[in-house]
Amino acid sequence: MAGFSRSMPSWLDERWRIGWGTGVVLVTYAGLIAVRPASEHGVGGPIALLALVGYTLGALLIVSGAVARLPATTVALLPVAITVNIVMGKIVYFSGLPLQLDSIGTVLVGVVAGPAAGAATGALASVIVGMTITPGALPYAVTAAMIGFTAGMLARAGLFRRLPTAVLAGGLIGVVAGVISAPITAFVFGNASGSVGQSALIATFQAFGNGMLKAATLQGLVADPLDKALTVVLAMAILKGLPPGFLHRFPFVRDRHVLAPRPDLVRAG
Amino acid sequence: MSTVQNSPHATGNSFVHRLSPLTKLTFAVTVTVCAFAVVDYRWPLLLFCALLLPAAIGAKVVRRFLLMLATFWVPVAAILFVIQGFFFPEAHDVIARFGPLELKSEGVAYALLTALHILVLMGGFFLLLLTTHAATLMSALSERNVSPSLIYIVSAALQIVPTLSRRATRILHAQQARGQVIHGLRGRARALVPLVGPLILGAFTDVGERAAAMETRGFGATRRPTSLITVPDSAVQRSARVAMMLCAVAAVTVNVWGVMR
Repeated sequence: MAGFSRSMPSWLDERWRIGWGTGVVLVTYAGLIAVRPASEHGVGGPIALLALVGYTLGALLIVSGAVARLPATTVALLPVAITVNIVMGKIVYFSGLPLQLDSIGTVLVGVVAGPAAGAATGALASVIVGMTITPGALPYAVTAAMIGFTAGMLARAGLFRRLPTAVLAGGLIGVVAGVISAPITAFVFGNASGSVGQSALIATFQAFGNGMLKAATLQGLVADPLDKALTVVLAMAILKGLPPGFLHRFPFVRDRHVLAPRPDLVRAG
Repeated sequence: MSTVQNSPHATGNSFVHRLSPLTKLTFAVTVTVCAFAVVDYRWPLLLFCALLLPAAIGAKVVRRFLLMLATFWVPVAAILFVIQGFFFPEAHDVIARFGPLELKSEGVAYALLTALHILVLMGGFFLLLLTTHAATLMSALSERNVSPSLIYIVSAALQIVPTLSRRATRILHAQQARGQVIHGLRGRARALVPLVGPLILGAFTDVGERAAAMETRGFGATRRPTSLITVPDSAVQRSARVAMMLCAVAAVTVNVWGVMR
C-alpha cells in the first residue's frame, strides 16, 4: 500500500497526514470558538460551513493517513468492528434508551490495534452509516475518529489494564467526544440532532441563557462521559471473551502490554 | 439487523443512475456547500426545488426520496423549530405566547434557515444513495487511487451484516434444538444474551482466518492492483465535476474571507 505514495512529497506521507488532519480539526475548533457565533455575519450559514469543511478535511486526512499503515489482520478486523458499532447503535436506538453506545467497536479497535486504527474505524463507520442509513451521520465522522484515537492513546498509557481505570478512560473519551461534536450539533444542526432526550437537555441549557455552542458543549459533557464509560465496559466484556491467542496477533497488544496479563494463562518455558 | 442489507440500493436505469458515482458525489458535496454559503432561507429552498427535486423525479425515485426525507429530516426540523423558536439565545421579538413559553421571530428565522440547510444536505446524499450502488462507488474510488485497504474495509462492512444475520438464525436454531423455548417479550429479551455473545465473539474470531486468506491472495502487495469492474465515465462529466468543485471552493473561500473579516 505504501507504493501508492510514490509521487507524494514527504510532508504528505502517512504519519504526517494523521498529524495534519488532527491539526486541521483543532484549528477549526479554535477558530469556531474565537469567531463569535452570534456576530453580524449571521449565525447559521458561514460558521456551519466552516465547521463542516474543516472537520471533513481533517477526517479525510486522518483516515487516509491511518488506513495506509494498517497490517492485514487489522484491515480484516475493522469491518467487523464497524458492523458491531452499527448493529449495537441500531438496537440501542430502537430500544428508546437515552444512550448512543454506537462506538463499542471503535473503542475496541483503538485498544487492540492502536490510535490510528481506532480513528479509521470511527470515521469509516460514520461514512458507512451516512451512505446507507442517514447522511446526518456524515458530519460527525471526526468525533468518531477522535473517540478511536483517544481510546488508543489511553490504552497506550495503560488505562485499560484494570476495569476502574478503564471506566475513567471512558469518561475522558466522553469529554473529548462531547467537546469535539458540539460545534457540529450547534452550528450545522442548530442543536436539533440526536434523540429527543438530548434535545430536551440542550433546550434546558439554552433556556438558562447559555449560547448555542455552550449549550451543546454542556450537553455533551453531561451525556457523553456516561455513555462512553458504559461503552468501554461493554468493549472490555467483549475483550474478556476473546481468546488470548487472537488478541496477541496484534503487535499493539503484544508490545505495549495494553491489557492485563491473564492469570489463567501461564507462559510455558 | 438488516438495515445495511436493505439499504436502498439503486435498481433503476435512468440517466441519473447511469452517471458516474463520482459525479453524483461531487454534486452532493457541492450542493451542500453552496446551500450553507448563503444566509438567506430562499437560497437552499431554491437549490432543493430547482436541482434536487427535479433530479429525483428524473431518476424516478421521487417517492422513496420524499419518504426518506420524511423519516429523517422532518423529526430534526420539528425539534429544531421547538428548540430554537422558544429558546433562541438573546432573542427579543415575541410573536406568540404558549403559557410560560414565548415564540420569538429571530428563533423561527434561524430554525427555518438551518432546517433548509439540513434539507439540502440530506437531499443531496439521499439522491446519491438512492441512485448509486455502494459497490459501484467503491469501484470508482479505487480507480482514483484510493487505498485498497479503505475500499476493502467499507465493502466488507457492507457485506458482513447479511452474514451475521445468517449466523444469528443458525445460533437461534441450535439453541432451540437443545430445548430453548422463547415466550413473550421477556423471554425474547432473555434469549438475546446467549445470542449476542457467540454472535459477536464468533465474528471477531473469524478475523484471523480472513486475514490469513487475504495475505495468501496478495493483499498488501505494494504494486497497484487492476480493477475488475470499470465504471463508465465521460469527458462531459469530468469537466462538470471540475466546474462543480471550483464552485464549491469559491463558495468556501468567499465564506472564510467573510467570517475572518
